[in-house]
Amino acid sequence: MEEKNQQNEEMTAAKSLALITETLNNSRRDILRNNSKYFVLWGCLLTAMSLTIYLLWHFNGSPKWNFLWFAMPIGYLIAAMMGRHDKDKPQSEIGRILGYIWTVFGVFSVCISAIGVFAVPLHVTLLIVVMLGIAECISGAVLKNWPIIIAGFILGVGGALVAVLVKSEAQLLLFAFGGVLLAATGLTVKFQNK
Amino acid sequence: MFPKLDPLLHSELRLALMSILAGVDEADFTYLKKQTGATSGNLSVQIDKLAAANYITVEKAFKGKMPHTTCKITQAGREAFRNYVDALKEYLSIGK
Repeated sequence: MEEKNQQNEEMTAAKSLALITETLNNSRRDILRNNSKYFVLWGCLLTAMSLTIYLLWHFNGSPKWNFLWFAMPIGYLIAAMMGRHDKDKPQSEIGRILGYIWTVFGVFSVCISAIGVFAVPLHVTLLIVVMLGIAECISGAVLKNWPIIIAGFILGVGGALVAVLVKSEAQLLLFAFGGVLLAATGLTVKFQNK
Repeated sequence: MFPKLDPLLHSELRLALMSILAGVDEADFTYLKKQTGATSGNLSVQIDKLAAANYITVEKAFKGKMPHTTCKITQAGREAFRNYVDALKEYLSIGK
């Protein structure tokens, strides 16, 4: 009875609006916080892979270690395993858009790399670093987060310049930096939505 | 003239439910319970009321042997929610 009375209690307009705002914000924060771990995963994976290939190339003198990049899609398996416990978490429009952006980036990266390695010579580093910067910039715009937008711009535009100026294995350090930015994006999203 | 507030939405728990569902594709019972802090019984009653008004759809299924209820806001629910928020804003602007 008391519960019923509580439900029928009249709310003021201000209280109602405050409740809507708070509930929407809480829900949004919860979803974004959950999505942030995938940024951290891909960032760490990218940095680890870049540094591994860099070191192998540097000490063995063979660029063939670049074939290890084709192992990157393993990240999707790890992400799927991480997401097993998220099935009860609802999906929001923002989370879905971020997912689309990074899936498109991943697919394009694999295809561009394959074309560059097996078909026609392309400046793969330049193309991927620009795409990485664009994806990061758009993610920042979706999240309304200026530091992420600026980081994406620096990575895309600055990275394009560095990719042309720097030769061979040193280019991999660019990806390592990109990975750090990606992980930092995830951590920013996580702590922003605590 | 004050706009009429939808009495179905003018309740704390139902309004919280609609606010959550307005921001997501769909949400399951456990998530809604966690977000609102309501008891299972109270939550069920309010979900049924919103579903009866066609503001949300409720899908009941099983995950293994466990019942799994998923709620989703309908177009009518979204419209009612928008009208409710507009009415609140009008109240507040008149009150200023």
